[in-house]
Amino acid sequence: MIQIIPETSRFSVKNEWLESNLSFSFGEYYDESNIQFGPLRVFNDDTIQPGRGFGIHPHREMEIVSIVLKGQLKHEDSLGSSGHLKFGNVQLMSAGTGLLHSEMNPSTEEESSFLQLWFFPDQKQLTPSYQDITFNIDAMHNELLPILSSNPTEGTAKIHSDVTLYLSRLDNGQELYFKQDRGRKMYVFVIEGELVLNQEFVVSQKDSARISNEQELTMKSNQESFILFMDLAGGE
Amino acid sequence: MLMIRHAIGSRLFYQTDDYKIQPHEDKWIISISIPEIHAKEILKFKEELNLFDVEENQKTWYYSSDDHVVFNKAKDQFIISTDHKTVYPV
Repeated sequence: MIQIIPETSRFSVKNEWLESNLSFSFGEYYDESNIQFGPLRVFNDDTIQPGRGFGIHPHREMEIVSIVLKGQLKHEDSLGSSGHLKFGNVQLMSAGTGLLHSEMNPSTEEESSFLQLWFFPDQKQLTPSYQDITFNIDAMHNELLPILSSNPTEGTAKIHSDVTLYLSRLDNGQELYFKQDRGRKMYVFVIEGELVLNQEFVVSQKDSARISNEQELTMKSNQESFILFMDLAGGE
Repeated sequence: MLMIRHAIGSRLFYQTDDYKIQPHEDKWIISISIPEIHAKEILKFKEELNLFDVEENQKTWYYSSDDHVVFNKAKDQFIISTDHKTVYPV
């Protein structure tokens, strides 16, 4: 089954410093029928105004991934870690037993846009950790480039959740193919451009697709496209 | 002031000045006076509760790693046995 979630159906939060488009229940938005997809619990598409951001606050028992799409993001946490991220960087924070952090847009002029994904961890009470990942932008050209995984290969970061997250930038007319194991899920988010899944389902910019009970998936670009793809454990 | 928030997105479930925090061995027992109608809603999220003791210049964050949250209906009181405590400036 392929369920297309249009951009316009996301829940939007807007204030003077933040625009956040929520794909799943989060904060004041609560919909019992839209809590998670496999281990994926949060998928927020955030834009922060210059000089603003999320001040110091805690997390626990989540694997938190931030993918910078535009601008910069400055990270500081109670582990003593710090990071300065831009496009080409991904942040992986394993909250485990708990940590405090802040995420700010250090620019005085440019907005910061990033995707914030939270996954349920495979086990509780992990030791908190933080890492910045730099991926090879050229290597995702017309390929699914794994960025992080529960079973990482060389150059891929380890996440404590049953997921592999890929990025790809496709030329117009290019097609990707993914063979999936029975019982697992897939998730597609179109960052830019437009895709057609299995010759039938159109996924436009900022739309997503939640895919269950499919053993094969083709993803063909209708135009130059930049996509996020995930192979996820089954379940809820 | 004590705030009870959801760990995912920080939705505020309840806030009150009517509470007590007592250390007990390696835990902190937090007792909160709360009407049953609020308690019932909060119990649905008992695995995902963060508690914040908010003072002028600092917050203290507590949570229970084993979801130890009990509602005493006779007293309209939550008893939350927390095993994690972090103090941070605000």
